[in-house]
Amino acid sequence: MNERLYVTPYRCIDCKICEQACSLVKSKRPGVPARPRVQSFNVEGDTDFVLLCLQCDEASCQAVCPVDALVRNPVTGAIEVTDRCIECGFCVVACPFGCMDYDPANNEYIKCDVCYGDPACAKYCPTGALVWAERPLSEAEAEQRSAQRTTDPFSVPAGD
Amino acid sequence: MRKVRPTLDDTARMMSETNETVTITIDGRDVEAPAGAYILDVAGELDIDIPSLCAHPGLEPFGACRLCVVEIQKPGWDDWYRQLVTSCLYPVADGLKVWTNSEEVRRNREVVLDLQLARVPKSDVIGDLAREYGVERTSYAERDTDDTCIMCAICVRACDAVGRSAIATLSRGPDKYVDVPDKDACIGCLVCAHLCPTDAIAFVADDNGKRTIWDKQFDLVTDERTGEVLGTPEYLEHVRQRATDRGLRWPDEMKHESAKVKRRTYSSKLARVGRIEEPAE
Repeated sequence: MNERLYVTPYRCIDCKICEQACSLVKSKRPGVPARPRVQSFNVEGDTDFVLLCLQCDEASCQAVCPVDALVRNPVTGAIEVTDRCIECGFCVVACPFGCMDYDPANNEYIKCDVCYGDPACAKYCPTGALVWAERPLSEAEAEQRSAQRTTDPFSVPAGD
Repeated sequence: MRKVRPTLDDTARMMSETNETVTITIDGRDVEAPAGAYILDVAGELDIDIPSLCAHPGLEPFGACRLCVVEIQKPGWDDWYRQLVTSCLYPVADGLKVWTNSEEVRRNREVVLDLQLARVPKSDVIGDLAREYGVERTSYAERDTDDTCIMCAICVRACDAVGRSAIATLSRGPDKYVDVPDKDACIGCLVCAHLCPTDAIAFVADDNGKRTIWDKQFDLVTDERTGEVLGTPEYLEHVRQRATDRGLRWPDEMKHESAKVKRRTYSSKLARVGRIEEPAE
């Protein structure tokens, strides 16, 4: 599988659908949404962009982890938090992008694990800023997707 | 969180690197397990419940709480002969037979809980576990104390893993206790308090910008923008030291900045490649 989560920040419209999808998919108890692993931003009122874990080759979070709790999944290429975590929080301080976080609702340290190969954020992203594919969308494809989805993004059939 | 069960013991790791699997019998079920894995981890994968207090997947197995005892029988042993071992420390081998909840095992756990109940009469965790094994009241003389430490040393091992080794067991025998001999070594990360199975370590995480643990008071660094507590200055300095030791770039101006503030670095990077405008400070 060569699919990767391609991020094209300038296509982001800060609709926060990725955050909602992530919160709901990662929720552990009904009614308690998890803290999203992906964040969309609006800078100075006119610039939107989306930020999520870059899955660095030489990851700071992995390097400072005292118990090797952050393990790269060989299939998806994503670094995942395993149950070896002792909750020291070093990774949160070490990540230069702020992509490690602590979720107080579920009392655990979180990062993007691309949903083990089925990222909800990309599934519901209406503009193609996030896509789970073998290559990023071309401009024409992105425009086509925007036209289809921006009106009713949650109507997107699952698995698309 | 994804479940992976690599073991920390070097021998076990070397053995598991060969990808050898062995077949063992747990409670009558024949299962395949990676060579060198510990019985407790193999049982955990099968959702067989073995009580344990001092075991943590990320820390060295220690065998302190004695609650995870199981009965084993190696191939070649006489049929009537079984041995009691701590499952958190016993690596699986081909043909091993394991009983996790036999009469003998339950009787041993009862004795352990009976003794622990005498040691820490105020602990809810031990009280609940003891009741589960039919021990309502300890048959020994109760200690007159609010202390709930069961001497499992998970805090000692966690502090070693964190890289500070501030916590140690002091004294010997019945007087043995856990403390921080060198207060300077403690960075106030609270890992010990969070991992403690019986909540024996008293701490105040945040009281008007101060944190107290092990009778030491720390200042707290908060994020200027969001007001989130980032940790103590000693803690942040320790992570910075750890990161630079491992060859990570750690610009000094980023030292005590929060993750949230650091996101600006990313947006200004985008501004440089002409994607977005530089955000005004």
